[in-house]
Formats: sequence, structure tokens, C-alpha cells
Amino acid sequence: MNHTPDPAFAESSGSFDPKQAAALLDQTTLQARRSFTSGPPLLWVYRAAFVLVAFGGYWLDVRHRNPYSAPSGGLLAVIFTLVAINIGVSFWLLKRASTGVSGPAQSKKRTWIALMLPVWVIAFAVTAPLYHASASHPTWGLYPANAPLMIVGLVAAGTAALIKDWQIVCTMLAIAIAATVAGFGGPAGAWLILGIEMCAVCLGTAAFKFSQRHRSAVRP
Amino acid sequence: MTTEELDPLIHVPTRLKIVATLAALPDGDGLSFTRLQDMIGLTPGNLIIHLRKLEEAGYLSSEKSKNGTAPKVTTVALTTQGRKALTTYTQALRDLLGGL
Repeated sequence: MNHTPDPAFAESSGSFDPKQAAALLDQTTLQARRSFTSGPPLLWVYRAAFVLVAFGGYWLDVRHRNPYSAPSGGLLAVIFTLVAINIGVSFWLLKRASTGVSGPAQSKKRTWIALMLPVWVIAFAVTAPLYHASASHPTWGLYPANAPLMIVGLVAAGTAALIKDWQIVCTMLAIAIAATVAGFGGPAGAWLILGIEMCAVCLGTAAFKFSQRHRSAVRP
Repeated sequence: MTTEELDPLIHVPTRLKIVATLAALPDGDGLSFTRLQDMIGLTPGNLIIHLRKLEEAGYLSSEKSKNGTAPKVTTVALTTQGRKALTTYTQALRDLLGGL
């Protein structure tokens, strides 16, 4: 900090009214929360729409035919595009939020993300060897809909608990429970149930994040 | 309670913005000088004056780090004392405004 200070602006309290101070405190806190958040409510609303379109589309695609088959190429293209947008926007927001921020909480978060990336990949990648190993219909039909999100949800909740990020713990546990419950819908119905449940989890997370962000710093 | 009882170190618009911005970070985390400057919208000289006052009072800590040939990065963080001061200031504001 070797810049030359400008004394003209050093003190500017003047007649700083408490009401103005309360408004400024609320406004600054809101702006700071918005700036430091890597998962804003709008991203979770997008995720809600994305899971509904992806899983609901999968259900529409397989419900009147063999549910143990892959969906159409068109639907897969839509799903991969939505996944790519989600990953791209998530990383951009993460980079924007963490620029210039350092410290123990930041390091823990980075470690958690680095740990979760291979977990996501492995949980979904197992579907390929299962398919090629000619897994039984119930296994092949239910694994892709339930197991990856159960694995990711439980591992993410467990590791988030270690860094005491209770918001992530709740969201990830909800995802694991949603994936478990969806399994009772059968090979085709599981996709629809999963889509609805995941959409509800994402919208709930968006609502919670919105309320947390907009809660007043002054009012109790 | 009167306005005079509000912590004079925080009860200045610019310093209130600095403290409120740093308080939005998790406990122990810091922010680079340049990012803080962008967020507050002050010239480096003006920001330094306010940061020094807060640092002298023990409300924040600053640290210079250097990675290899990269330029030095100054990071500022709110101390435990600074967080407590903001909590006290917020409570005083609440009392003054009649619980809002």
C-alpha cells in the first residue's frame, strides 16, 4: 500500500444520519454477498429448469418403448448442451466470486470442489462399463437414474460437513434422498420422479439462497 | 442513545462500506486491495487512508504476499475485533432506529 493518499477524501462523515447508515449497511452487504456468491439463486433456477427438461425429456422419450435403452440422439444433444452451459456458467461464477479472495474458508472450498469433480465423473462414468458388461435390465435401468446422484449427494454431503458448509450438506442430502425415492418409480418412471424432485430441490435451494442474500444486516 | 455513541471509526460512509464488504466474507478470509478498491469505488490513496485508520484500531489486518516474479498482493481481512465492532455498531443502529 504505497500509493499517495488524497487528504480531501480521507474523512467524509459529515452529518451521516443513522437511517442513511442503516440503508448503506444493508446495500453494501447485499452487494458484497452478491459479489462473493458463486451459486446465485438464478443459477439454481436454471438448474431447476435444466433437470426438469433433462430428466422429464428422458422419461417422455423412453416411457412408450423399452425403458432399458438409451434416449434419442436429439434429446442427448439437448442434455449435453444444458450440462455444458451449467458447467461453463458455474465455473465462470466461481472464478468471478473468488477473484482476490483468500483464506482458510476459500482453501477448503477449493479442495472440496477439486474432490467433487472426480466423484461426479466416476459416478456417471460407471454407467458405460455397466452397459458393456451387459448388466441385468433392473441394474441397467435403475443405475443411471438413481445411483450417480445418490453417490454424488452422499459424498458431497459428507465432505461438506467436514468443512461445516451446512447449506451444501442440506442440498446434497436432499439430492441423495430424491435419487433414492425416484428408484421406486421403476426404470421409466424413475426419470420423471427424479426430474420433479430435483427441480423442487433446486427451486428450494434458490429460494433459500435468495432469502439469505436479501436478509437485512440491520434488522434482526 | 445518541448518534455520538456510534463507533466513530465505522460511522463514516466509506469505512462502513469497507467493514461491511469484508464482513460478508467467511471469518478469517481476506480480500485483495485491488478487488476491494473495485468494489468500494475509491482511488488507492483514499482507500489506504481509511484502511490505515481501521488497521490502527485493530479492526482489520493487512498482509503483503509475493509469488515468484508476480507483483506483491496486499490482502486485507477483518479481525475478530473488527467483526465484534461491526456487530456492536449494528446493534447500536438498531437501538437508535427503534428496532426498525
